[in-house]
Amino acid sequence: MPALAHTTRAIARSWTAHQLPVARASCAALQTRSLSEVSSTSSFDSPFKGDGKSTKIPSFAAYRNKAGGETGPRVFSYFMVGTMGALASLGAKATVQDFLVNMAASADVLAQAKVEVDLAAIPEGKNVIIKWRGKPVFIRHRTESEIKEAEDTKWESLRDPQPDSDRRQKPEWLVMVGVCTHLGCVPIGEAGDFGGWFCPCHGSHYDISGRIRKGPAPLNLEVPAYDFPEEGTVVIG
Amino acid sequence: MAISSTLYNIFLRRNTTMLATVFVSAFGLQLAFDSGSEKIWNTINKGRQWKDIKQRYMEKPEEE
Amino acid sequence: MLVRSALRSARSVGAAARNAASKTASRPASTSSSAAEEAAASWKTTALPAGATVFAIGSVAWYFHLYGRNVDAMTPAEEGLHPAQYPWEHQKWHKTFDHGALRRGFQVYREVCASCHSLARIPYRSLVGNIMTVDEAKAMAEENEYDTEPNDEGEIEKRPGKLSDYLPSPYKNDEAARAGNNGALPPDLSLMIKARHGGANYVFSLLTGYPEEPPAGAAVPEGLNFNPYFPGTGIAMARVLYDDLVEYDDGTKATTSQMAKDVVEFLHWSAEPEMDERKKMGWKVLAVTSVLFALSVWVKRYKWSPIKTRKLVYQPPYSPPQSSILSKLPNKKL
Repeated sequence: MPALAHTTRAIARSWTAHQLPVARASCAALQTRSLSEVSSTSSFDSPFKGDGKSTKIPSFAAYRNKAGGETGPRVFSYFMVGTMGALASLGAKATVQDFLVNMAASADVLAQAKVEVDLAAIPEGKNVIIKWRGKPVFIRHRTESEIKEAEDTKWESLRDPQPDSDRRQKPEWLVMVGVCTHLGCVPIGEAGDFGGWFCPCHGSHYDISGRIRKGPAPLNLEVPAYDFPEEGTVVIG
Repeated sequence: MAISSTLYNIFLRRNTTMLATVFVSAFGLQLAFDSGSEKIWNTINKGRQWKDIKQRYMEKPEEE
Repeated sequence: MLVRSALRSARSVGAAARNAASKTASRPASTSSSAAEEAAASWKTTALPAGATVFAIGSVAWYFHLYGRNVDAMTPAEEGLHPAQYPWEHQKWHKTFDHGALRRGFQVYREVCASCHSLARIPYRSLVGNIMTVDEAKAMAEENEYDTEPNDEGEIEKRPGKLSDYLPSPYKNDEAARAGNNGALPPDLSLMIKARHGGANYVFSLLTGYPEEPPAGAAVPEGLNFNPYFPGTGIAMARVLYDDLVEYDDGTKATTSQMAKDVVEFLHWSAEPEMDERKKMGWKVLAVTSVLFALSVWVKRYKWSPIKTRKLVYQPPYSPPQSSILSKLPNKKL
């Protein structure tokens, strides 16, 4: 075994010792194109190395730019490449945009996303519950005394402090999503200790502005986006 | 030649300015292409689209 | 003929094999063959692939002759008469729907077809901006009643329609529709143009193709009507369109074919409301991609120009007089 290893090593050493000068010589030959050096150091004569005279460079005049000057053609080729980049980015943008638009709500969902309610049918002091995007929405036509009560409450000390003016667009119309902020039950109107809403599931009391006053719920009843496009109607959504 | 060298020096000398130029011109190109193709489309289909005939039906309720 | 071609190809295979064998055998003896022998070998070598090709094509043709033809369950008469190709303006690649015709066609649908056929996939909101104004569509929606969501007591009430509602169907369900039509179900027309072979041509031919009376010899079952375009020729629907059946509000004369054309264009819209947008987008995509293609051809030529225009210089080999490279190979006999 050791003898075999020894011979192998010896062969390797002799091989490198023998090869290296040749490799160096061929390198030199590539650099200098000198024939004599190759033939003197190498044991192998290439039949393809030519007669050693200097290379004649062929003429590229046919391909040269006739007008002279580099800037014109350079600007032109940059223009072509740039235009291709611009058009390709347009196409890429359109493709990505179409895929993203694909994820948006479809037309039939969007068509049901808005609900129009006729306010003339709601007498003063009454609640109306309508369905909007699968959730109940409370619309309360508040009386003068209720508005006064809602505005006079000391809201700074409440659990979720919010003045009444932040919770309605017109004082007499209170529009809220009728989902208890605790665990999502639907509160009962005109009930509870504060004259507003009362959640029967876990006993949360909301006042006449829909603010949480007592019970486990952490937040006031949510106010959806709505507006009054004309007198007597409200559009929720 | 003077124009091309100024163009080269302004937009193309630096890679970042060239990229910015490409994207800005892509934006402009989009606007121009969209409005241009819309115009050609509307000329080809003159009188066939709803926006060409809706005037007849929009005015009616006002007259009554 | 097939057999003969197969035989021929087999013979040529044999000939080619013989030829190849003789060639390999003769190569060591004589390295250069005569010109005549070369010519003879060339037609023999082409005979092999040619014969194989003929055999392959022949066997495929024979197989197709035996098993490949259509098997028709019905005779052409039972399939229905093939409708003619009509020059629909809105089906041209660069044309939108004629929205005036859509409006007329919707009027025909409402006054004629809607008594039996539903159009259940079309909501009122999609009529807005295509066929009628918002106010007209709202007014039309309110003419019909729809079910509400269950109220506090769980009762379902009725409310006037809204823009998000779909066009009402004439029957509550398919069973009611069958019961009202001698067991035949009037199909929903929302996607009819796409659903029927022949599309718009078929529906137009069907609507206008009722003869005055069935041709002699045609057997028309009780309760059915003869229409050559309908598969089986016996159709439960009778001819419905007659001249001046409806009165168009834009003054177009309501002939039978005018009404049929309008309602077919309307049904094409209801089956394919995105057609206008699709065609426009298609043209834009074609324009951009063709310019992009031209540019990319230019850029490819630009990038390849150093390689395509390079010149190779060949210097004749320097030959030392004493030795050739072959003499250095270990096996000198060849």
